[in-house]
Amino acid sequence: MKNIRAISIFSFIVYSLWLMASPAQAAEKFFEIKAKKFSYTPNIITVNRGDTVKIRLLSEDVHHGFFLDGYGIKTSAHPGMDGSLKFIADKPGRYTFRCSVTCGEFHPYMVGYLVVGPNSRFWLFAAIVLVIGIGSIITLNRVKKTNG
Amino acid sequence: MKKINETIAVTLMLLATVGTIIGVFVIEAARRKKFYTVELIARSPLNGNWYPKEIRIPLGKEVKIYIRNVETVSHGFSLPEFNVSALEIKAGEVEVVKFTPDKRGTFPFMCTVWCSNEHLHMSGEVIVE
Amino acid sequence: MADKLFGLIDLNWRFELTKFKLIRNLFKSRWFPLLAIILNLFIFVIILISGLIGGFSAGNYNFGIMIVWILWWVMLMFVLVPIFSRAWCLMCPFPVFSDWLQRGALFAVTGLKLKGLGLKWPKALKNMWVMNILFLVTTFFSGFFTVRPLATFILLGGIILLAFLIGLVFEKRSFCLYVCPVSGFQGLYSQFAMAEVRRKDPEICKNHKVKTCYVGNECGYGCPWMLTPFNFTKNTYCGMCLECFKSCPHDNMAFNLRPPGVDLLVDEKRGLDEAWKAFIMLGIAMVFFLTMQGPWGFLKDWVRGASLTGYLTFISLHTAFSLLIVPAIFFFFSYLSKSFSGAKEVSLKKIFTNFSYTLVPLGLGVWIAFSVGIVLPNGSYILHIISDPFAWGWNLFGTRSVPWTPVFTGALGYLQGAVLVLFYLFSLAYGTRLSKQTYPTDGQAKRGWIPILIFLTLATLAFLWLYIG
Repeated sequence: MKNIRAISIFSFIVYSLWLMASPAQAAEKFFEIKAKKFSYTPNIITVNRGDTVKIRLLSEDVHHGFFLDGYGIKTSAHPGMDGSLKFIADKPGRYTFRCSVTCGEFHPYMVGYLVVGPNSRFWLFAAIVLVIGIGSIITLNRVKKTNG
Repeated sequence: MKKINETIAVTLMLLATVGTIIGVFVIEAARRKKFYTVELIARSPLNGNWYPKEIRIPLGKEVKIYIRNVETVSHGFSLPEFNVSALEIKAGEVEVVKFTPDKRGTFPFMCTVWCSNEHLHMSGEVIVE
Repeated sequence: MADKLFGLIDLNWRFELTKFKLIRNLFKSRWFPLLAIILNLFIFVIILISGLIGGFSAGNYNFGIMIVWILWWVMLMFVLVPIFSRAWCLMCPFPVFSDWLQRGALFAVTGLKLKGLGLKWPKALKNMWVMNILFLVTTFFSGFFTVRPLATFILLGGIILLAFLIGLVFEKRSFCLYVCPVSGFQGLYSQFAMAEVRRKDPEICKNHKVKTCYVGNECGYGCPWMLTPFNFTKNTYCGMCLECFKSCPHDNMAFNLRPPGVDLLVDEKRGLDEAWKAFIMLGIAMVFFLTMQGPWGFLKDWVRGASLTGYLTFISLHTAFSLLIVPAIFFFFSYLSKSFSGAKEVSLKKIFTNFSYTLVPLGLGVWIAFSVGIVLPNGSYILHIISDPFAWGWNLFGTRSVPWTPVFTGALGYLQGAVLVLFYLFSLAYGTRLSKQTYPTDGQAKRGWIPILIFLTLATLAFLWLYIG
């Protein structure tokens, strides 16, 4: 039990230090995203926490939308009529952006990813899984020793 | 007692199946007859275009066009002559437009949303007699 | 000493819900589950009508597609299976027509002799293999029936027809037990469920010479799922039709709440068919995520059949991944487990089969997390389609014009992560116990467990990376 506690406290400290570390110099990032049935190009965009993100949405076939999970903002583009978005990426993690205008049968599956790095959300859960996994082995062996 | 229960069960069963099917269609038929003059189906040109492509209506009587978009993209509807339009009819949605024709002749109506590369061919005619 | 899950919950803990008179009377009434089935049949008929009328139109505004692939699927994964076991089978409308025909009555108990040809299901197929293959084949068409109303109509119409035809030829619920594509994974994951149907006192059953729960009497039919309610010990093949509550003259059947997952430790009918079900479910979850919630357009073109070669590539890769690659990786870790443990006398097949049950909690978690990612962004469609089920412009509940509104998408990643971690914990908890069942000595069990633990950890991390990484 003691070991688990030690490991969890240790990883928690490492994690919080890492979170507290000041993010890379906030910059302004611009992306031109082309929407076409049923994907975006680029399909994965990466920014750092604190960045100001500007997006221009272009449609290459029909009316497409762009809704960003987590941030709850959206825009849309007709062919020849672009959409645009500007926001500060203050929430870390990977967020899905999805088409918000029915554009064809695969419309609900038309998605892309915005990764706001460092992806502390993923690393937090990955660390929990590893701590549990390693901790469980240590506990098992402890039980063995005490049982003789 | 047992007989009654069985009868109730079978009745409920029939209501849930046959009853539902008949009910749904009867209600819809009555509703359309009562409320709308014409039913218009919106489809891109390659999927069949407007149906019907020609709408015949009498002069001077109010017309309600019931427009169903049965496709997977948005369409629009515009009949410029009578200043009638539905800006965006989303996939799977229904819009109703109303107007009273006050002149005879043949007037075009068309889609107003870029729905496919054939968008510009998505048009039809209203004939007022 | 009582074996406690996470040192907290006694695995033998049970809480009998049927001790309440109201619930017991409900379970003993012939109106239940019949009324629930008829209600579902009503909804099902609307689903079929909307599927047929919807044709090739947008699936996201179609009643059938949304009710089945959002509402039903999410209910199944969130509530019905993990909490109430096969509660869906209790109210499923598919077998009602063949039941009616076999029994000659909907409500009444007509006698012990059932109509129809009543053939026995072939012995070689008395396992999950047919369901495994049928479910996998069904997922080949996921790019059609989750988006095209007509495809959902054909799929569901086909299944109900098949259920009826099989009911004509084979005895009782052969269809449910051996064919239904959604039966297999419900059976597998219902081992995790927090509820069960079991007999109460074994002594009463022992002294009750005529096993009315198996052969039936004037109050209820003999177990349609061909189980022996007087002694079965595992949820997997119990369809919760509740006939045994009615046919037991001693009120000896119980509906219990229990700690999640206890059936995983029951060594009854374990086999490669159930193991493969677990692999296939993991494989499908990964493929579904990549194709439906992943950002890669070429995968979507494969799945929706934009080109024949792409579609065939999808089918082949999907099949190879779920049927071969996932099991092969697991086999490798089972092999490691055997070498680590040093237990030469334990067969590799036993190790492989037993440990495959550790994938049940993890798999369920993977599917719950996947479903959260479907329902939070798209659940709002439900409000639209219940008001306008046939896209005719109806407005039954005044919610027709509610726009598509994703909810709690900021919390989505955290929810998915938390669900995966929780079910990973369950997998570990049952894994250590399964290891003790598999290996004769404690030392071997501990050493042999390590490779499996590594596999489970890697699998959890892989899904974590896929969902939020």
